Amino acid sequence: MKRIGRSWAALAVMALSACNFAGEGEPTEAQRGDGSDTIELAEFPDRPYWGDTHLHTDISVDAFGFGVRLGAEEALKFARGDKVTATTGMEAQLARPLDFLVIADHSDAMGATRRLYDAPRMLIRDPTLRRWHDMMHESPEQSTRAVAELITAAANDQIPAALRDPERQAAATRELWDNHLAILDRYNRPGEFTAFAGFEWTLMPDGNNLHRVVMFKDGSAKTSQVVPFPGLDTETGDLWDYMEAYEANTGGQVLAIPHNSNLSNGMMFDLVGPDGGAMSADYARRRARWEPVVEATQIKGDSETHPFLSPNDEFAAFGVAGWELGNLPLTQRTTPDMFAGSYVRSALLRGLTLEQQMGVNPYAFGLIGSTDSHTALATGDEDNFFGKHTGVEPRKGRAMESQNLGTRVGRFGWHYLAGGYAAAWARGNTRAEIFDAFMRREVYATTGPRMVLRLFAGFDFTEDDWEGEWVRAGYTGGVPMGGELQDTGRAPVFLISALKDPEGANLDRVQVVKGWIDANGEAQERVYDVAWSDMDGERKRVGGKVPAVGDTVTRSEATYANSIGAAELRATWRDPDYRSGQRAFYYVRAIEIPTPSWVLFDAKRFGLDLASDVIEANVIQERAYSSPVWLKPRRGPDDAPRIMGKG
Amino acid sequence: MIRKLLRDPLAHFLVAGAAIWGALALTGDPVDPASRTIELSRERQAGIAFGFERMMGRPPTDAEMDAAIERWVREEVLYREALRLGLEDGDAVVRRRLATKMDELAGAEAEVVQPSDAALEQWLVAHAGEYQRGGAVSFEQIYFASEDAARAASGTESPKGEAISLPRSVERKSREEVAQVFGQQFADALWQSTAGPEWQGPIRSGYGWHLIRFQQREEGHTPPLAEIRERVEADWRSATIAERRRRAYALLREAYTIDVE
Repeated sequence: MKRIGRSWAALAVMALSACNFAGEGEPTEAQRGDGSDTIELAEFPDRPYWGDTHLHTDISVDAFGFGVRLGAEEALKFARGDKVTATTGMEAQLARPLDFLVIADHSDAMGATRRLYDAPRMLIRDPTLRRWHDMMHESPEQSTRAVAELITAAANDQIPAALRDPERQAAATRELWDNHLAILDRYNRPGEFTAFAGFEWTLMPDGNNLHRVVMFKDGSAKTSQVVPFPGLDTETGDLWDYMEAYEANTGGQVLAIPHNSNLSNGMMFDLVGPDGGAMSADYARRRARWEPVVEATQIKGDSETHPFLSPNDEFAAFGVAGWELGNLPLTQRTTPDMFAGSYVRSALLRGLTLEQQMGVNPYAFGLIGSTDSHTALATGDEDNFFGKHTGVEPRKGRAMESQNLGTRVGRFGWHYLAGGYAAAWARGNTRAEIFDAFMRREVYATTGPRMVLRLFAGFDFTEDDWEGEWVRAGYTGGVPMGGELQDTGRAPVFLISALKDPEGANLDRVQVVKGWIDANGEAQERVYDVAWSDMDGERKRVGGKVPAVGDTVTRSEATYANSIGAAELRATWRDPDYRSGQRAFYYVRAIEIPTPSWVLFDAKRFGLDLASDVIEANVIQERAYSSPVWLKPRRGPDDAPRIMGKG
Repeated sequence: MIRKLLRDPLAHFLVAGAAIWGALALTGDPVDPASRTIELSRERQAGIAFGFERMMGRPPTDAEMDAAIERWVREEVLYREALRLGLEDGDAVVRRRLATKMDELAGAEAEVVQPSDAALEQWLVAHAGEYQRGGAVSFEQIYFASEDAARAASGTESPKGEAISLPRSVERKSREEVAQVFGQQFADALWQSTAGPEWQGPIRSGYGWHLIRFQQREEGHTPPLAEIRERVEADWRSATIAERRRRAYALLREAYTIDVE
């Protein structure tokens, strides 16, 4: 070997210049950073920026196996509005582009199925891996089956060593991640489109979903100093250690977004600590610090609440069917005692209870929606649903097929929701502005439609505020969604506005969901109708209830008419049940008139003959959930933590 | 005829392909399974060094280069032995990789060629619509839930609208930005309206009906090539690659007959 010359560097440069392939060009300084000082910002957040924080591409271990062949580049192009060709060959383009995207591929075995697929067969020694390799090459159905086996193996802790060994993965992940970050910077355009680095941390003890999306604020100069943190064999404290180290070492910022609590069998929002003992104040503090936002709705169901938990809430059953049966692989069935730890509203209540006990609220989070699509296509609407994964991209049979993940019990294609989106109230479209909106919880969830939802809380708002620049009044005289109010001994007043999606359905009603701890220390919840269409006309309350808005959906055509409902609903709402010293949260739920779900669009497109109960279940009322505002008791003798230091 | 051939991308492809084939034949790079001599060309060494640099962000040291070459040699030995055993036969991965390589060969020249300004100008003219910057408008709007109310107000000097949380006046926004707030239907109608200082309309949106009054209107234009050269070049390149692949395949495909049983 000695006779080889020594100018490797020169040779590498020579090779490099030959590889100057096409692309978006080299990113500018502004594209590579967090976007601070790159664009002119509004005085205060003047419009919601729309995004998906939860998208998988071909380097996710399961997405690739399910068949997706589109990577980050296509995902970003699609999200910003370009036309791309989906894996199964159909051209796809968003009617309305998104403003931002977090690609969140699974950190565990990142890129491994793609590598396994590409590996020469003779070099795969592990018999399980070799079988999966063969199945992936055999047919799309077999490939999907291989991934189902892989997820079950992960849930049962039986992943082949070659896939899970972090040492073996490290080098491969490093290269993947660096390439990925370079692509993100190229597509990141301050003021136009924001591309965030992130990954999904996939902790799944006994198959129960404790997954988080991890989202970075920064560009590649900082994010390339780490690699995605694997989830298997770790615990949440380890993830927070990783995040803390990232911030300390790079000066950057990072946050984590729990999701699919509905598939966690009560573990996501547990009352106890991760070891089963009492939750420590330190654990609660860290949880609140690193996880400011929760994804409340996505393709695999809606996690706002469940009819078991909210029996008086007539809208509580949205996106619950099928998913309520158990965890994702259905290795463990859900029992009713688990629900309170699996849904967002009960978690917010638990947060108040825990705060009363130990002085810290671990579950003081804001709400967003996202897709969790595994097709690299961030579709969130009913008329463009591209499927949970490539195996269920648009085709005739997908709505009625049973779900191959886990068992064949009780979960069908039509239980998938079309996905949700995240709205961020920011002063401009940059990494820093949108990330900061997440940190201060000035974000909201929708099940897809782009309603514009405003919420301000204070003590002095009046009807007159609507006359002038009420948004300015909201910011100067109160706090926006995600904020906190200190109790003043007076009932809080809320300015609430919900404006319909300009391309979508009218609004049925706007509600305030209040949760509080009563004088006996019991957690309580109540849903108030605060504004609804035609409320001064025909639609008077009957027996204390607002009558249903009506239904204009033509089932067979998948159409509806905006002849009912309202374009905007506003309310100046004062809490009628306020008690001095009460610990409470308030969030807004805006509900659209009934519209057809993606299943009815499929039925129309493919000529399906659906059972009538399936048809009726797919006339839905889409919705938005604001982040809460919290009312905190004044600091005083009553507020002294009662069990401080326990655990 | 010759001149036409010189301009034909397919001819370029075939010539380039023949050249690459010739070059490979000369260097003996497509492996003769019977040969037990492995030659390590300068280009190969450069490729190995480059691979290392991409991964580590710096050139390899001598020791690292030696190790990388050892790994490459090991792979080459196993590769040749595999060919001797005929292991590539019926292997789906090998089949697909070779097919991909053929595809890439077809697009290879377009990956690195520097297109002339004239070629890009031509592309820009042909696809002007995709690069047009849509101009901007400044306008005021007043909202009415019903068309009748809007029409009734449209004759009055200073019409009063109904309350809605949409901006009463909008400054210098593009068509896309207007559509984000008011919906596509409104933005399209606004762009079709003739600018003037009087209240006009009503035009329709997803919310209801609007009287509008223009403050200012800037027409859209296609930016000069120099401003968007990077994007035009990238688009030209990917379209050219795709087109060459398509034509190359069509030519090859023509020679085949498919019998379906």
